[in-house]
Amino acid sequence: MSLESVFTKNDLAKYPFLKETAQYLSPLDLQIEDFINSGMSQILDHAMERATSAIINLAVRPLINEQGTKYVIKDTQKEILSFPVALMLVSATENSLIKKRYALAEAKQASNELSYESKEFVFKVALDFGWQIIFTSADSAFDFALYFNDFLQNASRLHDAKWKLVNSKLSEGNVYLNKRDVVRLLQEEIKRRIEKRLATVSVSKYPPEISELADKLKTIASEHIGQTEMEFPKVVIQEAFPPCINMLYDAASKNHHLPHMGRFALTAFLVNIGMSSESVTELFKSFSDYNERLTRYQVEHIAGTRGSGTKYTCPQCSILQTHNVCKNRDDTCKRIYHPLKYYKIKSKMTQLNVPEKIDTTAKT
Amino acid sequence: MFVSSRDYVYSKFQEFYNDPSTAVSIPTSFGQREFAYLMFRERFMVRHKRFENMQVFKNVLARNVPSDVYHSCAYYENPDLEMDKKGWIGSDLVFDIDADHIPTSCGKIHDEWTCQTCEFSGKGVTPEECPICGGDKFSVKTWACELCIESTRVETAKLIDMLTKDFGFADDELRVFFSGHRGYHVHVEGEVVRSLDALSRKEIVDYVTGLGLSVLEKDLEEKTVKGRKRVGAAKNFVLHDYGWNRRLKVGMEKFLLTATAESLKNFGLKNNNLLKNKDAILSRAIAGGRWNSVSGVSVATWLKLAEQVKCLESANIDTVVTTDIHRLIRMNGTLHGKTGLLKVELPLRQLDVFDPLTHAVAFKKGTARVLVSDAPKFSLGGATWGPYRNVKVVLPTAAAIMLILKGRAEVVNDV
Repeated sequence: MSLESVFTKNDLAKYPFLKETAQYLSPLDLQIEDFINSGMSQILDHAMERATSAIINLAVRPLINEQGTKYVIKDTQKEILSFPVALMLVSATENSLIKKRYALAEAKQASNELSYESKEFVFKVALDFGWQIIFTSADSAFDFALYFNDFLQNASRLHDAKWKLVNSKLSEGNVYLNKRDVVRLLQEEIKRRIEKRLATVSVSKYPPEISELADKLKTIASEHIGQTEMEFPKVVIQEAFPPCINMLYDAASKNHHLPHMGRFALTAFLVNIGMSSESVTELFKSFSDYNERLTRYQVEHIAGTRGSGTKYTCPQCSILQTHNVCKNRDDTCKRIYHPLKYYKIKSKMTQLNVPEKIDTTAKT
Repeated sequence: MFVSSRDYVYSKFQEFYNDPSTAVSIPTSFGQREFAYLMFRERFMVRHKRFENMQVFKNVLARNVPSDVYHSCAYYENPDLEMDKKGWIGSDLVFDIDADHIPTSCGKIHDEWTCQTCEFSGKGVTPEECPICGGDKFSVKTWACELCIESTRVETAKLIDMLTKDFGFADDELRVFFSGHRGYHVHVEGEVVRSLDALSRKEIVDYVTGLGLSVLEKDLEEKTVKGRKRVGAAKNFVLHDYGWNRRLKVGMEKFLLTATAESLKNFGLKNNNLLKNKDAILSRAIAGGRWNSVSGVSVATWLKLAEQVKCLESANIDTVVTTDIHRLIRMNGTLHGKTGLLKVELPLRQLDVFDPLTHAVAFKKGTARVLVSDAPKFSLGGATWGPYRNVKVVLPTAAAIMLILKGRAEVVNDV
């Protein structure tokens, strides 16, 4: 790899997740202790600001300054250094929600800034991620041609119809895109890189100063982002099942045959909303091909009480659509991407006795 | 000596796997694949096997005599460990086109289903529920007719067209196989596809089947922050020259060139202007891109036509096979336990001339005397046989084995 710089120091301050940042940082050979003890505490403070702003504003710094003009980074060195330190602080919270939110904030920040950059610059950033991307010729209606697997890696996470491969401009292996689209896809890629880095920052024991700051971040997070983990009612509310699960549940209770994907979706849904493995196994008892030992094994495997210990989640709506398990979509279905989210919304409404139909357009 | 039909077929499978001239192909990355086989007699699946080399594997096949042999599409660090510990490295991109889930022109009239509850039986596509007792469990005797196989060939051709033109795979990156029963497999093994995750593979499946295709710009608008779509987006019907939009244009042209009032009606297209203004549609709309210039053809009609053409141009694949990154797939050059035919590879560009019912024949020598209960007319190994009903006939080994495995004949022991 060439050591020649592709990016300026100011670029690295704006986009510190780029690989070249490491080249810049490594000669400095900084350790955690340096930020605590030496005169570099201002960097620790700035990193704390960065992480706090990410949690509260979902942005790591303003795009526009108080005078209404474009925000300019004054101390690029401090800005660059605050990034790895913020990663460490966020990592020290050992809280997956905070980590996710931080990565999202960094990625959104970057994509906001990238939308003001030139096509050439966006192209350089895409290359930093190893994308197979080319500039299209000047007379083309599109700015870029991106190899389909780099497209899929990122677009498959986005829910809007526009990002489905079937709706893309695919030809000879390339998806034709304009700059705005590439920036949006880069946002996903950046988020993943940061999530990965947060997962690999490994310090066995943080100095007390760092742990203290991490605790502060946790307090801030609990005040601002609340509890977004899925929380379900203590009892199973069948009226709140999405139509697809209702059909599967009905078929299972009537001893009808279920295809593999249907059986998996139903089992995973039920164990995730809190039904016990015993009750789910019981549900399948009426099947003619029922084998108690095998069914129990499969149910417990999905519930994560056996095997690797990973609890399987129910497949998202788009997967159920692909395999023709999604049936009788209703109005609530149009608002969600996951059967469990449907259950969460519907069970709340059922418990509060709210009328089923909610006009989504009438809300402020 | 009395020989049961099962024993007879077993002995032939045994001969096949012990014959030194039998050429079971070596899959790529042999050492990273999981192997599995279904025991012919014991009917259980041996899984999670890894073999040092092909010779060891061949010896195992010769000794154990399986009815069906599989390997993983996936590559693993430790293919012989249990699922959670295998260490997934990557997986081929595999497509399965099987007559079982395709409406075929024969109407599956040769398949026979029997309700497991009341034993009522009938012919054709298995119903959702038994018309007599409402039960939904059936035992099915299938048959692989030429029309079934032809239907899967047509689907395979559409798939290959997408994989080469849209996905840009070179001919030598695609491998096409006759499955040994009634369908085809297409394998893509390149470095490019190995690391694709399940969600990305799902998107490829949706592309191939046309699921979620939207052409109106307003349907492709991204939701705004408030979760609403931008209002006032264009409602014009326009198609560009990439991906599915191009396919729709080509498909519309093909469809309209041969369309009659009858065929349009069959497809639920009642607008007569599609026929009356055919020339204008072909030149001004499809070729010229002026979709609003054809009188009497509204956006709604274009959408209906596009929907119909999508159904014709999409490829009917088994969605589960392609999205499953741990899938086992039948091994090239091994026997299919439902037919005694081989899974065989064919040259990509010979799909339309390749006759699987000749090339997939494994048992080329000898004959057997069988009592056929019921079999339609069929071709195998270049000759035609049947139809038969309760007759004793002498058939070539391959035909006899196929009928026995299909539950339609028994070996005759009297001499």
